[in-house]
Amino acid sequence: MIRVAAVGDIHMGPDTRGVLRPAFDTLPDCADVLLLAGDLTRHGTTDEARVVADEIRGLGVPVVAVLGNHDHHDDRQDEVSGLLRDAGAHVLEGEATVLSVGDARVGVAGTKGFGGGFVGASAGEFGEPVMKEFVRVSRRCADGLRTALERLAEEDCDVRIALTHYSPVPETLAGEPPEIYPFLGSYLLAEAIDTAGADLAVHGHAHAGSEHGMTTGGVKVRNVAQPVIGRAFHVYHLPLRERVGADAGTPAG
Amino acid sequence: MNTHDAGPAGGAPPAGPEYRVAHLQDRLASGELGELGVHAEVRGGAVLVTGTVPSARCRDEVLAVVREELGGLDVHTDVVVSESSSPDHAEELS
Repeated sequence: MIRVAAVGDIHMGPDTRGVLRPAFDTLPDCADVLLLAGDLTRHGTTDEARVVADEIRGLGVPVVAVLGNHDHHDDRQDEVSGLLRDAGAHVLEGEATVLSVGDARVGVAGTKGFGGGFVGASAGEFGEPVMKEFVRVSRRCADGLRTALERLAEEDCDVRIALTHYSPVPETLAGEPPEIYPFLGSYLLAEAIDTAGADLAVHGHAHAGSEHGMTTGGVKVRNVAQPVIGRAFHVYHLPLRERVGADAGTPAG
Repeated sequence: MNTHDAGPAGGAPPAGPEYRVAHLQDRLASGELGELGVHAEVRGGAVLVTGTVPSARCRDEVLAVVREELGGLDVHTDVVVSESSSPDHAEELS
């Protein structure tokens, strides 16, 4: 079993410095990894990112993060990522990382993702340049997630997790006004997850949404936006898949 | 009588609660607050403002903007601060 702690939308700034640390200090007792599902800052400033970095530095469990739209607001997303990496976090955008938890290998693939909507009510790559670019950005994020998950499949991971900020499914948006769903997620993320395969998908972004959902392909989805879970983080116990084949578990290459 | 075009050209814009609520959301999102997690809607004759924010200071700032933008309207607010305690249980995924 792998114990996955996750939270998104912590929206930290100087006025919330240290607020989450007492809860985060309990992580080694209850979790093997902490996932941060974006919107870690309020405006994406380096001052706010330093607060987040201090909050996660030296936690005793590995930290894997994606950025959210708020973390892009000040146009310093690379600096924000750099500060989080300096604090020890793996920050993913169309990338994957493999963590060793005991004898198990835990793969996390991540992207911020983007909007566009869901099947039957989604934006198309048509018309004005800005509209086409909107959809292309969403497609690029989803392609990056799919490629990263496929890479994890080749790396003999026992568990694969898709980490995004935007939602892959509409179920976890329940509670938000339906009119804004196209700004909260995209079916392209779910299609990437179902195509490449994953054991769990975790996202944030939808503060008024719901925690539980599932992709069409049966992958469990959890919205871990802090206002949704009402805690500093939630913990999910993921069973390890049984390895099949006599030589399963032998590292490739 | 329809007063749609009764006002002088260049006069004050219409100030129905729907537009004022929309302007409130715009100001919360694009201003210094950067607050997208607060929702305001016209319900009956009043405006209901709900959401979860990261700190008490942030809530005070949001409520100050609400008072400025929706002055004179009947407003009900339910803006809470994020809970930052550890969870007391884990979810077992099958």
